[in-house]
Formats: sequence, C-alpha cells, structure tokens
Amino acid sequence: MRTSRFTIAVYLAPAILVMAAACLYPVLKAFELSGYKWDMGTAASSAKCVGFDNFIAAFSNPQVWSSLSTTLLFAAVCVSAEMVLGIALALALERQVRGMAVFRTIFILPMMIAPIAVGLAWRYMFDAQFGLINALLGVVGIAPKTWLADPTLAFVAIVIADIWQWTPFVFIMMLAALAGVDRSVLEASRIDGARMWHEIFLVKLPMVMHVIAITLVMRLIDAFRVLEVVYVLTFGGPGNSTEILALHVYKTAFIGQQIGVAAAVSILLLVVVAVLSWAALRLSNPMKDSA
Amino acid sequence: MTIDRRSFVKNTSIAVFGAALPFSGVFAQNRFAKYAGKTITINVPAHPHYDAMTKLLPEFTKETGIKVEIDKLAIGRLKEKQLLEMAKPQGDYDLACYIVMWKGEYVAKNLVHPLEPFFANPALADPAYDMKDIIPIYLENLGMVGGPKGYLAGPGAQLYGLPYGAETSVLAYRKDVFAKLNLKVPETYDDFGKALRILKEKSGMGALTSRGQAGHQAVHAWLLHLNPLGGSVFDDQWKPRFNDAQGVAALKFLQEVVATGPAGIPGFGQGESNTAFLQGQAAMYLDSTSFAGVVSDPARSKVVGNVGWALHPRGTRRASQSGGLGLTIPKNAKNAEAGFLLLQWLTSKAQDKAVTRLGGAPIRNSTMNDAELVRQYPEFEVFREALKHSNPDWRPIIPVWDRINVQALGIGISEALTGKKTAEAALNDLVPQVTQIMRESGYKI
Repeated sequence: MRTSRFTIAVYLAPAILVMAAACLYPVLKAFELSGYKWDMGTAASSAKCVGFDNFIAAFSNPQVWSSLSTTLLFAAVCVSAEMVLGIALALALERQVRGMAVFRTIFILPMMIAPIAVGLAWRYMFDAQFGLINALLGVVGIAPKTWLADPTLAFVAIVIADIWQWTPFVFIMMLAALAGVDRSVLEASRIDGARMWHEIFLVKLPMVMHVIAITLVMRLIDAFRVLEVVYVLTFGGPGNSTEILALHVYKTAFIGQQIGVAAAVSILLLVVVAVLSWAALRLSNPMKDSA
Repeated sequence: MTIDRRSFVKNTSIAVFGAALPFSGVFAQNRFAKYAGKTITINVPAHPHYDAMTKLLPEFTKETGIKVEIDKLAIGRLKEKQLLEMAKPQGDYDLACYIVMWKGEYVAKNLVHPLEPFFANPALADPAYDMKDIIPIYLENLGMVGGPKGYLAGPGAQLYGLPYGAETSVLAYRKDVFAKLNLKVPETYDDFGKALRILKEKSGMGALTSRGQAGHQAVHAWLLHLNPLGGSVFDDQWKPRFNDAQGVAALKFLQEVVATGPAGIPGFGQGESNTAFLQGQAAMYLDSTSFAGVVSDPARSKVVGNVGWALHPRGTRRASQSGGLGLTIPKNAKNAEAGFLLLQWLTSKAQDKAVTRLGGAPIRNSTMNDAELVRQYPEFEVFREALKHSNPDWRPIIPVWDRINVQALGIGISEALTGKKTAEAALNDLVPQVTQIMRESGYKI
C-alpha cells in the first residue's frame, strides 16, 4: 500500500511545528538580535539596527578567540575521556553480576543532579583550605593544591567535574546499545575463535557504532553549552583561563549588556558545533542508512 | 567638597520633609487603609541582611494589612531578572533590592521611580520618618543619581532608592594572635604591609583573607587598597588612570596579600574569604561591615570573642569603602505606593533597630548610637568612625561600570594575582580595552 504525501504531511506536521517553535524560533531570534544594538531593560522598539557591527565587534575581540580555543580544548578533553570511560564501564557492567541494579543506579546519579548543585559541590571539594580533594591527596602524601587559584589546575577542575557528571550519560547509552547486540553473532565469533578483545573491538563496538556516533554528537553539543558548573566553580578565572564560550556569551549579554554582540558570538558557537556534529555523524550516520 | 556634599544631602532631606510635614499628621493614621488587603512583591537577594528583614514582614502585614510576597534570588542573578522584569509594560516587583553599582544604569534606562514625590505626598509620608537620621554617606552612595559625575550628591542629584543592607569597610583582627605575637594593630599601610609578613611567618595561619576570584571579586579586593593609597579608576576627565603609581602600588599590595594570606585567594569569592577568617585560617579581615553579625555567631564562627575591630588602615589618605544594597521602586510596579509604604516602614527608626537586633546592617545614626544595640555590637563604635571616612567616590558608579568591572579589570587583575602578569603589565594592558569601552559608551576621551 502506498502512503499518500498528504498522510505523511499530516503525521509529520505536529513534530515539525514543535521543532520549529522550540528550536528554530530561538535560532532565528538570535540571528535577528545579532543585527541590533539593544539594551536590556529598554523597550524592544528602541533597538537600533547596526548591520554587521556586532559581528565585527565580536570577531575583533581577542577574548572571543581565546574563549573559543579554551572551549575546543575543554570539549576535546572532556568528550574523549567521557566516551572512553563510559564505553569501558558499559562493557564491564553489561554482564549479569550480583548487585548490578544498584551499581547502575549509582553510576547515573551524577547526571540527575542540577548543574548549579554540581558546581557548588565541586567548589567545596576543590577548596584549597577545607576541600575533600586536598584531604585525599594529603593521605597519599601529596601537598595541598590551590585548585581554583591556578589557571591550569582550575581548567583541570572543570574538566574533572564535567567528566564526573556526564560519563554516566555515555554509560547508559552504551549499556542500552550493547543490550541490543545479537547474541548469536557473538556466539558465532566465539566459535570462530575470537578472544575477548576481538569480540569487543571487532564485533561489539562496530555493531553499536551508530549509537557511539549519536552519543558523541550529543556530548559534543552539550560540552559546548556548559555554563552553570563553570559559572559556579571558577566564573571563568583565574584570568580567563576557564572562560569557555558559553560563559563569555553570558557575561557579554547579562553583565556587559551587549545582547547583540552576545548573539553574534552565540552564532559562532552554533557554527562550530554544527561543523563538529556533521563531522561526528560522518563516522556513522544512522539516519543515512535508514533513508 | 565633603561639607558641601553632606550639607546637600541634609538640605535635600529637609526640603522633602519640610514639604510633607504640615499635612502628614492628618493622614498618618490611615496611610495604610487604602492598601489593606493588597499583596505586594519584593525582589531580594539571598543575603544575611534580607534574611533578617524577612522575619520582620509578618509584623508589617499585621500593622498595615498589606501582604508581602518575597521573590528571593541568588545575588548574581538578581540584575538580569530585574532588567527583564522592569522592561515589561507592567512588572511583578513593587520593590526591588539593587547593588549600588546598578543605580546609574537603572535611572539612565528610566526603570525606577524618584522617591521625592512619594515623600512629598502627605497621604503616604510618615511624619516621624526623619530622613536626616539616615547615615548621609549611605543615602548619597546608594540613593542619589544625577549629581556630579552622575552618582555623587550635589546639584542635579535626586533620590531614587534608600540604603538597606549598606556597608563600609573595616579591619577585623584576631586579638589573641596579635597579643601572642605582641603585634600592634596596623594603623597605616606601612604597618599593614609589615604585619602581613610577620603574621605569615609567625602566626601559623594566613595573614589577611581576601576575595580574589576573577571578575567583580578581584576588583573589589583591589579597590580596597586603591582608595587609601590615593588612586582612582578614572581621572576627572574620565581617562583611565588606574595604571599609575597608586594603581600599581595597590595591585602589588594585593599580590602581597595573596602571597601571605590563606592558600587559594585567587579563587576566593566573598564566601571563601569570609570562611577563611571564621575558621581561623587568617589573622585579619579587611572588607564589609556586614560581616560583623556572622563573626559573633558561634554556629558559624570559630573565632567568637577573639575578634577586634579597627579602622581601615590609612595610606596616603584615610578612606573606607562605600557600597552595599538598597531598595528602589520599579517604574512599572503594580502597587508603587504600597511598595513605598513598605520601603518607608523597613527603613524607619523602629524597624532599622529591629533588623539590626536580628543581625542585619543598620542605616540610621540613631541605631548606631542606641545604647542597647552598642552593648550587643560593641564594634559599632569603630563602624561609626569608619563611616566618617567612607568615600562616596570609591568606584565609578556609571552605567557601564559592570562591564569594565567584570569583563576588563576583573580579568586583568586576576591574571596579576596568579602571577601570569606583573602588576604593571596587567594594568597597562587594560588601558586600551577600558578606553574603548568608555568611548563606546559615549565618553569623549
């Protein structure tokens, strides 16, 4: 039976409308704002059209480029670590072991905590005077560190907090994907003499590559949008060593009151994330196969 | 200059009240009747002073019949919410708490009511209010906009808000540690610098605690030394002068504070800075008077009974900070008049004493001189003296200050505190950026 174009349109329309309202409208609004000079707290009608001035102001600001490189480094380190750890954990815990339900629940707890609370908790843990991390380092004889007062250590601190919070996401995605791997294929590989490493790298992971790609894209997008944890933990400092682009956008918009410039920078962020997502999906695009 | 400014504040208040006095008695008793049963909304930060205020509100409702809803936010999120709220045709806030630095911007954007018309309205004004009793420097610093430089008292200045949670700077020190080391409380910046080294080497704890986190916190810490050392952010023509000898000296002093203080100052916000002193990790504290209530609270402080108070040390001049919080009435308030009644009630003599008893910060001379309260808070004697030296030009409260503060100075100073740049290089590198921001904001420099 052939489905008419009309039926397809009717079924798709609600989803398209919701997507347009929830996703497309804010993006278009950001494009619009980037062409105006508007002060928060004044009427929208008082906004002045300034053409590409906001883009010129944004792209000629060295802080934007240093924030972009901080963000790229942050995303690269965090997402790589989360993918490796998440996949390794999922492979280790996919088997039926006693108490597995408890383990799984514990592992996904960090993801459920509000980012502001995560930031605060880590701020206390990294405290130079009273923090848990320094106390633990002291047990193994390492001198206390001033985590949030040193540019390199502060960057390490935001990376650790992000890995702690988001590895569970990779873990549950991979756990679900691995559960769907056809057992008969695994048995066949074993009959053919595959060892555990062969089974993992030549059978299991290639079979879940679609999920790995999607998870990677979702983590990349999220890593570029991280704001609250860094806001609370370091507020971009010391200096601007942890000022990732999302925080730069926030400061430009709400402290500097340059809404238009902030919109221009957020469009830069959008372009970078879109390019990276496209590259990640080239690894393995589930939508392409089903088309 | 000082006499002119103070007399201006005094005269303004007399003029406002002089106008209201002949009629006020007639309306005094039923001032609230018209608004009884209404609900007003007040937007406040999570802050010890406003926590104390919250406890007074049931009494206000009992006295007036006006119900009060509180919208409490983290202090860092207050402004963005207020700007969004105040830009609507009709906002949700009838009274809003602001940080001193925002006053110019709110007035420039026409977002808040001037208060004179309310005080001149005999149907609303309380004849016993006594504006002259409000500490003049607080009234000027928090409330006045439109005068000299845009934010000082003088010709053109109008009252747009009232201080509520205002503060100045004082030195707190560990009496026990100073006695043990036979150390004199620093009177001057020379003594102060020497004390930092001695305390670092001999006390077994950090010398002076300080804020230092990138952004506002680092700038706040630097300003604490810049003013007494004779510096200022801009000259009289609004040209940056913060990189001159005084500016560099202040930043070098702050670097010394970091080197001799509790570990981690370049990451410290106000909370961490306070905690270091409260937990006995630092021998001195130089910051807001709003800290006093917490220091004597055994639940939060390990140093109760061991803390002495002194004036902010003298550099090339005697100066202490001016700043803190105030209350204002948004232009788009639904119940501006009822909002004013709450503002007037909270800042009245009786309620100022009441909030102080609960650990809040007083704004009136009568409260600071109240015998019973001085017994409760002996440090008020030092605070009264500090207020005499409080500098209303502590920081340039121009609308664009927030941007300069957080996005320019706050980053450069932080870089100097971690050793990434020298004090000279950090400040020199900031001049082009700050000059550009000033030019973009319309200053012809």
